[in-house]
Amino acid sequence: MDVFIQLLINGILLGSMYAIISVGLTMIFGIVRVVNFAHGEFLMVGMYGAYLLAAKFGLHPYAAAVPIVLLLFAMGAIVQRFIIQPLLSADEHIQIFATVGLSTALVNLALLLFGADLYAVPASSVQRTVMVGGFSLVIGQIVMFVCALALVAGLHFFMQATPLGRAIRATAQNRTAALLMGVRVDRIYVISFGIGAACVGLASALVMPLYPVSPTIGTYFVLTAFVVVVLGGMRSMYGAFFGAMLIGIVDSLSGYYIAPDLKEVVYFAIFIAILIFKPTGLFGLGRGTE
Amino acid sequence: MTAKANPAPAGTAPRAGLVSRLTHPRLYCTLIALALLLVIPLASGSPFLVHVFVTICVFAALATAWNIVGGYAGQLSLGHTVFYGIGGYTTALLIAHFGLTPWIGMLIGAALAALVGIGIGYPCFRLRGPFFSLATIAFLEVVRLLAIHFNGLTGGSAGLIVPLNLGWAWMIFRDKVNYLFIAFGLLCLTLLVSWAVRSSRLGFYLTAVRERDSAAQAAGINDNRVKLIAIALSAALTALVGAFHAMYLTFLEPATMFSLATSVEIAMFALIGGLGTVMGPLLGTVLVVPLAELARGWLGASANGLHGFVYGTVLVLITLTLPGGLVGTFGRRITGWIDALPGGARPEPQPAPALAEVGGTPGEPILVAKDLVKRFGGLTATDNVSMTLKRGEILGVIGPNGAGKTTVFNQLSGFLKPNSGTVEVIDAAGRRHSPSTPDAYARLGVGRTFQIVQPFGKLTVLENIMIGAFLRHRSVEAARASALRVARLVGLEDVKDVEAATLPIGGLKRLEVARTLATEPSILLLDEVMAGQSQADTAKMVQLIRAIRDTGVSVIAIEHNMQAIMSLSDRIVVIDSGKVIAEGAPQAVVRERRVIEAYLGEDYVDAQGL
Repeated sequence: MDVFIQLLINGILLGSMYAIISVGLTMIFGIVRVVNFAHGEFLMVGMYGAYLLAAKFGLHPYAAAVPIVLLLFAMGAIVQRFIIQPLLSADEHIQIFATVGLSTALVNLALLLFGADLYAVPASSVQRTVMVGGFSLVIGQIVMFVCALALVAGLHFFMQATPLGRAIRATAQNRTAALLMGVRVDRIYVISFGIGAACVGLASALVMPLYPVSPTIGTYFVLTAFVVVVLGGMRSMYGAFFGAMLIGIVDSLSGYYIAPDLKEVVYFAIFIAILIFKPTGLFGLGRGTE
Repeated sequence: MTAKANPAPAGTAPRAGLVSRLTHPRLYCTLIALALLLVIPLASGSPFLVHVFVTICVFAALATAWNIVGGYAGQLSLGHTVFYGIGGYTTALLIAHFGLTPWIGMLIGAALAALVGIGIGYPCFRLRGPFFSLATIAFLEVVRLLAIHFNGLTGGSAGLIVPLNLGWAWMIFRDKVNYLFIAFGLLCLTLLVSWAVRSSRLGFYLTAVRERDSAAQAAGINDNRVKLIAIALSAALTALVGAFHAMYLTFLEPATMFSLATSVEIAMFALIGGLGTVMGPLLGTVLVVPLAELARGWLGASANGLHGFVYGTVLVLITLTLPGGLVGTFGRRITGWIDALPGGARPEPQPAPALAEVGGTPGEPILVAKDLVKRFGGLTATDNVSMTLKRGEILGVIGPNGAGKTTVFNQLSGFLKPNSGTVEVIDAAGRRHSPSTPDAYARLGVGRTFQIVQPFGKLTVLENIMIGAFLRHRSVEAARASALRVARLVGLEDVKDVEAATLPIGGLKRLEVARTLATEPSILLLDEVMAGQSQADTAKMVQLIRAIRDTGVSVIAIEHNMQAIMSLSDRIVVIDSGKVIAEGAPQAVVRERRVIEAYLGEDYVDAQGL
C-alpha cells in the first residue's frame, strides 16, 4: 500500500511538469487553433538557455526562469507573427508542415551547436529528497507542483478578470465576431502564442535541475504533452491540468507494475483510444474532431 | 485489354496503342529523366555516387508511396516509417528464422503492412488534420517501443544483422551497382502505381474526398473505402522499399527502422516537390537528398545535424512561399512546354456513352418516407413527416425558413439518420431498399444537391462533374465524355476548364445540379437551386428540370421562388415547424388557410377575411 501511495505521489509530481508544458500547448491550440508540433523544441531551447546561463554566469535555473520566460515569450510571438500568421488561412496540412519543419530545424540546430551530448547544470539542493509522513519527495518536483498550481490559477485570473484575457477568450470562441467588436485578432494571436511558449519557458527552467538537456529532449516530453492535451479535451486549460496529473500517475504506476520500458506504450495506447472513442477528451471539455 | 473482354461497342474509339503512347512527349521525357538516375552513377563508376543514387531512389520511392495517402487522399501520416520498418523486419526475420528469400519475404512484409495500414486507417480516418497526424505518430511510437521491448524477436535496441549470403537470391551484393538496379526498379514500380492511381477513377475519388467529404458522398463515393485502399497501397509499397533498404543497410534497429525523423523527411520531400502530384515526390527528393548526402560526405561528422537543419528550414520556407510545391507551382507551365514537343497532340474526345434507361411504371411510388422524426437536442426539426414521391412527377416542397425542409432532405439522402421513421427507395423492379449511408443512396439512384453549394474548389468544373459521372462510368474517358454532355445540358460548357472555386454563385448552383445529374439519378432532390440565379437563368433552370423529368427522372424540389415552383410542380407539400401542414395540387395548396398563416401570419389571414 505504501508503495502504491508513493507511486501516486511520484505520478502527481511528474504530472505537474507535464501540466506546465501542456497548458502552454492548450493555450496555442485553443486560441490560435494551430497544433504546434515544435512545442517540445521550445522546451529544448529554454533548457539550453537555462544551461548556458548556469554555465556562463553561474545562475541557478530558478533565477534563470525570468529571462528564459521572456525569451520564450518573444520566440513564440515571433514564430506566430512570421510563420503561423501568414499561414492562418492556408490548408491545414501546410500549417502542420510549417511547425514540423520548425521542429526539425531547431532539433538539428541544437545538434549542430551542442552535439548529441547530454548537458546538466551543477548539482544543487533542489535534487535532494525530503521525507514527509514516510514518503520521499524531491524538492524540485514539489516546486514544480506549486508552480503548476500557481500557473493555472494565474492564467485563470488573467483570462477571467482582465480585459486582455476577455479579448483572448472572445477570439478563441469566435474569431470573426471578436474582429467585429474591435478586437485586434492578429495581436491576440501573437500574445497567446507568446504566452503558450512562455509556459514552456517556465517548464524548462524548472526541469533543468532535474533532467540533463539534449537536442531530442523536446520530442520526448512533447509527445507526452500531446497525449495530455488530447486527454484534457484540446481546448481546456483545466482539462490539460488534470490530464497531466492522470498521465503522470499512469506513467508512474505502469512503470512499476507493467515494465519500465512499456509505460509509454500504455499511455500512447490511451491516447489512441481517446482520439478514436472519445475525441472530446476524457472530461468532455473539448471537441477533438471538429 | 484482354481477349476475354467484350467487343468494343460501336462508336467507341480504339484505345491508344503502346507505340503512340511512347511517342507522347510526356512519356518519353519522363523516361529520359528517369534513365538519368541510372546513367549518371553508372557512367561515373564512383561507389559514393552509386550510394547517393540508391538513397535517392529509396527516398523518392518512399515519398511517392507516401503521397498516395498523404497527397492524393490528404491524410497527413507522420508515422509512415511504421510500414517501412514492418517491411524491413519481416523480411530480415524470415531470412534469419526460416531461410526465406527476401524476394518473397518482402511481399509478405508488404501484405502485413497493408493490413496494419487498414488497421490504423479504419479508426483514425475520422480524425481531423493534425489529430490524424498525431495518431499516426502515436502508432509509430508504440510499434517502436514494442520492437525494443520484445528483444527476443527483434534483437531490441542492440539491433539485428541481416545474414550475409551473397547473390541475387539473397539481395546482398559485393558490387553496389546491383543495389542500384533494384532501387531503381522499386522507384519505377511506385511511380507506376502512383500514376495509375492518379489517372484512374480512384484518383479522382481521393481528390473529391480530400476536398469535400459531403459532396463526395452525395456523388456515391464510399469515403472510408477509398481512403483505406489508398493507405493499403501506400503501406504495401512503403514496406517493399523498407525491405530492400534493410537488405542494403544489412542492419536493423528500432531507432532507424521506426524513426519519426525519417517519417517527417519522407513527407517533406513530397511537399517540396508538390503534394498530390505524380512526379512531385521524386523531384523533391532529387533536389534535397544530394545536398544532404554531399554535405555529409564532405564535412563528415562535424556537420552532424546540418542536413536536418537545412531540411527543416527548407520545409518552413516552402510552406511560406510555395505551398503548392515545385510541381504544383511550375508544373502546368512545364507540361505546356513538354506538350509542345513533337507528338504532343491531345487525343480526340470520345462520344458520350448512352444514358441508362430509367425503368418502372410512371405514377407508382418510388420514394416513400414514413413518420420521420428528427430531434436536435430539445428541438424537433422534423415531426412525423411522411411523403411519397411518384415515378415521373415533380414534387415541390415549400415552407418558411427554418421549417425543416433541408432536414427532411438530409434524411431522404442518408446524411441524417431519423430518430424514428423509415425511408424506402423502390427500384424499377419493385424491390424496396432502405440504404443507410449517403453513398448507398447515391448508388440506388438518389441524387441530391446542397443548398449551401459544395464544389470541389480546386478541381475544374468538368472534373467536378466527372466525380458524379464516375458513379456510372468506371473509365476516365467515358466519365469525361458523359460529364461534357451534362455540362452542355446545364449550360456550363463555356466554363468547363475553370477552377470551380472561381465560379459566381449562379454557376455554382448549376454545378451542384450538374454534378448530381452526372450520377444519372432516377430520383433527383434539388435544394433551392434557383436561389441566386438571374431571371433568365431561372427560366432556363425550370426548362431543364422539366426536360430531366421527361427522361423519366422523378424530382423533389425545395424552393422559395414561388412563381417557379408553382409552375413546375405537379404536387406540393408544405412544411412548417417540422410538420407537413398541407399537400396537394399547387393552386389548391396556396389557398389553404394554414399555408397563408404559416407564411404571412394569422393577422394577415384575419385581415384578409379568409
